[in-house]
Amino acid sequence: MDKKIETGERKNVNWAKIKRLLKGELGLILILVALMAVFSFLSPYFFTSKNLLNITRQVSITLIVAIGMTFVILTGEIDLSVGSAAALVGVTTAVVLKASGNLGLAMTAGLVMGAGIGIVNGLLTVYGRVQSFIVTLAMLGVARGAALVWTGGKPISKLPVDFGIMGAGYLGVVPVSSIIAAGIFILAFFVLNRTKHGVYMKSIGANREAARLSAIPVKRYRVLAFVISGVMSALGGILITSRLLSAQPTAGEGLELNVIAAVILGGASLSGGIGTVLGTLLGTMVIGVIDNGMNLVGVSSFFQQIVKGVIILVAVLAKRSD
Amino acid sequence: MIRVAGTVLKLEKINKSFGGIHALKNVQFELFEGEVHALLGENGAGKSTLIKILTGVHRMDSGKILIHGKNIVIEDPVDARQKGIGAIYQELSLIDSLTVAENIFLGHEPVGNFFGNLKKKELTRRALEYLNTFGIEIAPETPVSDLGLGQKRIVEIVKALSINANILLLDEPTTGMSKAEIDTLFSIMDDLKRKKVTMIYISHYLDEVFRVCDRATVLRDGENAGVFKIGEVDLKTLIRAMLGRTLKEEFPRRNGFPGRETVLEASEFQSEGMAAPVSFKLHRGEILGITGIIGSGKSELALGLFGVDRKVAGEIKVKEEKMAIASPSDAKKRGISFVPEDRKVQGLFLRLPVEHNITIANLALSMKRGVISYKRRFEIARETAEKLKVTPLDVKMPVQNLSGGNQQKVVIGKWLCGATDIFILDEPTRGIDIGAKTEIYSLINSLADNGAGILIMSSEFREMSGVCDRVLIMRKGSVVSELAGEELTTEKILTVALGG
Repeated sequence: MDKKIETGERKNVNWAKIKRLLKGELGLILILVALMAVFSFLSPYFFTSKNLLNITRQVSITLIVAIGMTFVILTGEIDLSVGSAAALVGVTTAVVLKASGNLGLAMTAGLVMGAGIGIVNGLLTVYGRVQSFIVTLAMLGVARGAALVWTGGKPISKLPVDFGIMGAGYLGVVPVSSIIAAGIFILAFFVLNRTKHGVYMKSIGANREAARLSAIPVKRYRVLAFVISGVMSALGGILITSRLLSAQPTAGEGLELNVIAAVILGGASLSGGIGTVLGTLLGTMVIGVIDNGMNLVGVSSFFQQIVKGVIILVAVLAKRSD
Repeated sequence: MIRVAGTVLKLEKINKSFGGIHALKNVQFELFEGEVHALLGENGAGKSTLIKILTGVHRMDSGKILIHGKNIVIEDPVDARQKGIGAIYQELSLIDSLTVAENIFLGHEPVGNFFGNLKKKELTRRALEYLNTFGIEIAPETPVSDLGLGQKRIVEIVKALSINANILLLDEPTTGMSKAEIDTLFSIMDDLKRKKVTMIYISHYLDEVFRVCDRATVLRDGENAGVFKIGEVDLKTLIRAMLGRTLKEEFPRRNGFPGRETVLEASEFQSEGMAAPVSFKLHRGEILGITGIIGSGKSELALGLFGVDRKVAGEIKVKEEKMAIASPSDAKKRGISFVPEDRKVQGLFLRLPVEHNITIANLALSMKRGVISYKRRFEIARETAEKLKVTPLDVKMPVQNLSGGNQQKVVIGKWLCGATDIFILDEPTRGIDIGAKTEIYSLINSLADNGAGILIMSSEFREMSGVCDRVLIMRKGSVVSELAGEELTTEKILTVALGG
């Protein structure tokens, strides 16, 4: 009799745990697996190691920028300027590279530009008390405009071939950009879960007032989130430029929306405090698999947009209902 | 006193429970036409529950509501308004960017045709009519943002009347008003009385009750504790009815005594939010209460001491040493902890687990070589929750799933795991049941017995006299009195705080 009750309880506990997981990452994994199964069925090429590695390469830039966005969204803000920042950083890197021929210097310049954009976004939002939506919307225009003015609207091409390794190179069979994205993922995972910085940023998004009264330096961390996003956009911009061996002032157009979609799909809440980088990884993968799979199956690119939109909506709705 | 005939509103045997707590037990309430009727009682006596039933926010479990002798059901706030019950709360519901006239008729504007274009002239004319009727000199075209608080509240009253309210509910209407504004309000209330408007008046200021009210219904612990004619009752009788007998066992006995060493001292200290400078000394092992009604400036003092609001004058000494406390982090470094007034808004990360909430303020303790150890964090949270008797003892659970009392324990627990010996507790037992209250009192006692200095801000006077070694009473921003020893009784606090 007693034993029965005990096992019953244990079952309940497990069930609750499973439910908790289903609402979080496990649900997304299931969606991902289902999508992959469908595309494997529709295209014999889809489930090959070559294509799967290709997907990781395709999503690497989105993933890196989305990880930066995760920090911003966790603190309860938004960064619409990531695509434009990527373009401006690409141009900066290319210009410095052409002038100096020094790869390290060029990349540093690009990263500093990204951090600078993040600092401006952060300071205006936090100390200027303008909503981040507006600040970063303005930055979206300013950074894109700066890239266009700087280049006269023309791409900066014929960059040294060495520079292409990051974006287009392979280490064995694995794309270098995938390795970089994986490294960023691990780093972000560590920062968010194992350092006070991540825990503080999450707390600020969950309840800014309570965070302040828990002696967390709220303003500093809110700015920091934008800086992280800026630097991640910069890395994304450098990778785009490296992949094409050309800095396009129009690069990364619409990237912000893809990235936000991935983060939200990953379970983050736009009101802050909730979200994980693992969720962001899975959200990015779901979008990446849809893009890749539909291309393989030969769905028209016009129709692809509709399907993607619907799948994202359905996935978010499915996660909502218990 | 005007003796009026008809009964406008009658409540019979109203019952209401929340979870297991019986908030109202067979409560009776009767309103005569054209009277101002005070509704009195301590916090938690059931006043607000009764008001919320009347205004359609809550549904009663059983009982009858009769308006002019007719049995009615109040479905929701809109329905209450249609039945002639208008309410003016402490928080204003006016829209700042609209004019006085637009605000008065918001939601029932005179409109021209099918498309609903506003008839501006008629709007202004009718608003002016209303304002004139009550002898109020505010131009209808004035934007509400240009008005003072008192004028705003008067506009709010006119707004309620324009929806044909004949029962008007005024919840602490004088909060934040100047003396002149209060006088205007009272003369308007007199005028309304002559126009047969019936009013329910809720205020912590008993002197106001004696000035404007005709009768008073007192509630205590969710039950009727008497109906009084104001002309025939004195302050003492009203206070006794509000308090009833004191529950001695509610406040556990302390073992220790306050020491001599001063751990926190404020001299002529004033922060941005405070109306006047305040001085006090808090000793090791002492439980010092700071009390006063809502708006007396207690919470502002707490926020100032913890470095949330900027200091504008005076100084603070922590353990005899002058300290600049410019931020909560500064305060924490000096060993000061702060449990804010509103646990949900200021204290907790509701959707995050208990362990996150308990460890967040002292995250360094959960770290091993600069990295958060989940195991250590879990252990600290679990140990603290166990010490505080948090039930259920599941630190992985989101804190929003806990009851109010247990949530409050978590807010206190946030500071307990750290090195702190000065506690500022703002309303530490607000909105929690008696059992949990007693547990928190025991906890406060043991903290003091272990040498901490404890500052409690509370507007529950019984709690102050039951828990504290010494109590400072604030009124409108200043400390007006200090009570200790035999003088420290609930009655005495009440008398001083209300200025009776």
